[in-house]
Amino acid sequence: MAGCSILTNGSTLDCVENPWGYQSNDCCLATDNSVKDGVDDSHADDKVKLRCLFDPVLSVFLKEITSTAVIRPFPAMLGDGRSPDLFKLFWLVREGGGFDTVTKKGLWAFVAKESGLDHRVTPSVKLIYYKYLNALETWFKERCRDGRFGSRQYGCDGDFSLLSLELETEFRRLLSDGSGKNKKKDVGLPMESCKSGNYIDMDIGKSAFDFSDTIKAFRKQEDVGKGSSVDDKNIHDDDEKLFNDEGTAHVILDSVIANKEFIFRKRKRESVAGMLNWVIHIAKHPDDPSIGIMLESCKGNNHESKEFLVQAIRAREALLLRRHTNPKAERSPLEKKIKMHPSMYEDGSAPRHHSTERLRSSERLPTLVKCHAYSFCNSCSATQSKLSPCKIELDNGPKDEKPVIDATSTTNTTHGDDSLQKQVRVDSHLQAEVPEWTGVVPESDSKWLGTCVWPLEHEKHNATIEKDPIGRGRPELCGCRLPGSVECVRFHIAEKRMTLKLQLGSAFYHWRFHHMGEEISLRWTAVEEQRFKDMVRSNHWEDAFRRFRGKTRENLVSYYFNVFLVQRRSYQNRVTPNNIDSDDDESEFGSLSGGFGHEAVKVPRFSFLECSDNKQCTDFE
Amino acid sequence: MGDSREGASLPAAAASDATKRRVSYFYEPCIGDYYYGQGHPMKPHRIRMAHNLIVHYALHRRMEISRPFPAGPADIRRFHSEEYVDFLASVSPDTLSENAFSRHTKRFNVGEDCPVFDGLFGFCQSSAGGSIGAAVKLNRGDSDIAINWAGGLHHAKKSEASGFCYVNDIVLGILELLKVHRRVLYVDIDVHHGDGVEEAFYATDRVMTVSFHKFGDFFPGTGHIKDTGWGPGKNYALNVPLNDGLDDESFRGLFRPIIHKVMEVYQPDAVVLQCGADSLSGDRLGCFNLSVKGHADCLRFLRSFNVPLMVLGGGGYTIRNVARCWCYETAVAVGVEPDNKLPYNEYYEYFGPDYTLHVEPCNMENLNLPKDMEKIRIMLLEQLSKIPHVPSVPFQTTPPTSQVPEEAEEDMDRRPKRRIWNGEDYDSDPDEDVKPRHIEPNSEMRNVVDEMDEDKSNEHPTS
Repeated sequence: MAGCSILTNGSTLDCVENPWGYQSNDCCLATDNSVKDGVDDSHADDKVKLRCLFDPVLSVFLKEITSTAVIRPFPAMLGDGRSPDLFKLFWLVREGGGFDTVTKKGLWAFVAKESGLDHRVTPSVKLIYYKYLNALETWFKERCRDGRFGSRQYGCDGDFSLLSLELETEFRRLLSDGSGKNKKKDVGLPMESCKSGNYIDMDIGKSAFDFSDTIKAFRKQEDVGKGSSVDDKNIHDDDEKLFNDEGTAHVILDSVIANKEFIFRKRKRESVAGMLNWVIHIAKHPDDPSIGIMLESCKGNNHESKEFLVQAIRAREALLLRRHTNPKAERSPLEKKIKMHPSMYEDGSAPRHHSTERLRSSERLPTLVKCHAYSFCNSCSATQSKLSPCKIELDNGPKDEKPVIDATSTTNTTHGDDSLQKQVRVDSHLQAEVPEWTGVVPESDSKWLGTCVWPLEHEKHNATIEKDPIGRGRPELCGCRLPGSVECVRFHIAEKRMTLKLQLGSAFYHWRFHHMGEEISLRWTAVEEQRFKDMVRSNHWEDAFRRFRGKTRENLVSYYFNVFLVQRRSYQNRVTPNNIDSDDDESEFGSLSGGFGHEAVKVPRFSFLECSDNKQCTDFE
Repeated sequence: MGDSREGASLPAAAASDATKRRVSYFYEPCIGDYYYGQGHPMKPHRIRMAHNLIVHYALHRRMEISRPFPAGPADIRRFHSEEYVDFLASVSPDTLSENAFSRHTKRFNVGEDCPVFDGLFGFCQSSAGGSIGAAVKLNRGDSDIAINWAGGLHHAKKSEASGFCYVNDIVLGILELLKVHRRVLYVDIDVHHGDGVEEAFYATDRVMTVSFHKFGDFFPGTGHIKDTGWGPGKNYALNVPLNDGLDDESFRGLFRPIIHKVMEVYQPDAVVLQCGADSLSGDRLGCFNLSVKGHADCLRFLRSFNVPLMVLGGGGYTIRNVARCWCYETAVAVGVEPDNKLPYNEYYEYFGPDYTLHVEPCNMENLNLPKDMEKIRIMLLEQLSKIPHVPSVPFQTTPPTSQVPEEAEEDMDRRPKRRIWNGEDYDSDPDEDVKPRHIEPNSEMRNVVDEMDEDKSNEHPTS
């Protein structure tokens, strides 16, 4: 079954990854209409969905429609192992007037480029188009010529009849009135809500890619696209409805979403995103029967997924348990959502398609087109605990705001929406307790004022010391023999320290200035310093920290920031001034020991103790 | 615009810019020795570097500097859940593997991004203690501006660590401010969304949160422009989603009109500014392209309203620039324009090869197109227009307290004036300001006053 194969043959992830790339491209192409009106917004997202569906549909199509017995492998691969985005390819060539026209005009290089590939693979792209897509193109052309697929025809199809009727009506209206786009969504709404309720039980076999349905859907798109003069967007609008009706579309969409989950970490990490997302997807759809199917078909397939599968199964069990015992909690994100976003919509056309809303928001913010944020809360078993608070919110939450979109209160819409935008969670367990303003001011403990270090209360000696003006930097010139050299800088720092020490009095020690700067290396022996450098170079400090005898962890950290990094930066400033880095603890610094053997600070006229003692820290070896 | 309302806070602010502010500054001398672990981008050392620069610029002479009182578990529980606080207070790297702790690490989100490091709780205590102390300073009317660079850890949630933040000092500080101030405005210019603070005050109109942040495929994922608050807090959360490469000019074009409008309609009694420095150009984790001056312009602008102002740190992962930025912002707070050539200091080499206070932004592309910015601005100003002027709090008598007697019976219109610097009763800086015998310093000092007044006048919020 086609539906299963998408999820099992490993192409799911490919399928998931590409659309984002595609979408971002698309956004560039479509920037001009990006903010025009609410409907346009759905454009990009729909394309993603369409794109996700495209490969499996095509696969089925090729098997069934073409008479040739050749089975084409999916995903299609170029010689270099990349797989081109077939949907985009198809779309581009169609824009270009079809295979023949593109060939005649010599546009293949352009097509390759637009598909995100380089010109070197142009012949391969052409070949792939010919093998995979040409049949489809021809087929469409024929059908269109025949006029066989007039919209009338759909009404009589079995389980698709409701949708088709809706579509048909809508479609007709569209054709007659190009401006009807907005209304169209509204018409689609009741239909969707009545169907989507059964989302959770949605069976992959039932919902996905039943051949006749798929082809119908496909014809529909093509019909709209070809047979009418209405622009592309209409295709996608229609598709959205179709897809919303099919569980599969959601499954795919959700994995697309999952693909972006890694942002839940602040630091940048992407390596495991693929598999992680897979797990997340599974965790989000614990009831998805496809897991069982996958379990079967995954055997011996890919041990990476097996490994994750085990986790997934566990998560699924846990989630199932939770859902069954606590169906209310499951629903709550929806209700919350509705309460929290009653209407940012100024246009006020009453019940709105939920996903329309979401898409529109992304449109409002062109910056966001490719980057919805996703709720980790609902997508990973690890943070499940947040689900139960949601329930509490449901029970205790203020009832004053009526849900605006009652008609769409289905699990389906909840799901789509919730995963597309990370929500601010509302519930008494998350918000701070803000007391009502009573006008009675409670006394604050004066302990909070802390210990005043400055100004100095009882030390008057500082008044006699000459002070630098506030905000003054370093003087333009210095009398050093080699201005800017390490010795020069060290000398001036030491000089400044002395002045500061006198000016600050006790505050100098309060603020631990005596623990700042390279001077702390005075408490280190040369051997210890060398050991520290070796340790850092070995890049396993955490262990080394414990083994470093005679120094506390604090000493080591202090040495690292006050001496080691200062010296490293000092080196960079003079040797690699275009490549400076104070922040990457793990970067290479082998060059540090390379021939920067300055001797001790030579200060002929001043003989600060600090300076002459600085010998040790001047040594870069 | 231009109705009588505007008179409430704005003209007074502009007019009083010339005056100095009494500035309190909290610094924990041990803060620089906390260490998140090898390779972790969050480095408390940056706070020490900033302090070092501040002192070498002699800015401390214009401030009162205190070592914060460490917030205890009970204080932290004013926002955080008991279990979570107990966990933080008792866990250590050595005990982390014990069952009693390890089973909680997932739940409290402690681990990778938020590691358990040596002295974790002490770090949180200092950070929170500083912000609460800053709030108390403002509450008592002791200061006009209170700074805590160790604060601003805006991601921490009620029962969960997040994004290098464990204890939300901001929420604790705001809760303290709310004891005395009816409405508090929170402004967040960290490159990351201020989700923890927003969440904490999502359902109240006593705190308005405004966050400017990179949105889209970026931590923490919240901060959609349409997240506007909930229940009584509806419209009292403002989110300004931005894209990579944000430069000074575009930022200012959004920040000023929006904040101007916020100040006008919300009329906060106190403002908290989170100055996360990861929105600076060249940040290790951030993706904006702001200069130090562009960043500090936010502080400059907020300062000009002459409302009690708490200034906190936050993110910032290219530590040399963090120190630059926070030092410069301290200078802005005290009303001094420091020299660009850095004074010699212990961390001088960090600032090479140019050794200047300001660094040029890079020439990265600004993906924030003018028309997008315009859209955002219009949307947000529209949201703001839904807010009733001076929300939900009747003009009742403000409480008579021993600390701030003037506040009683005083209405909003007169309020800002009370905050005007009064050189006589402030003794933290006796030399430069009061006594004329030191002639030299004042001549060398560059007050930033004029610039600020100018800034004010080109400001016209779109409506």
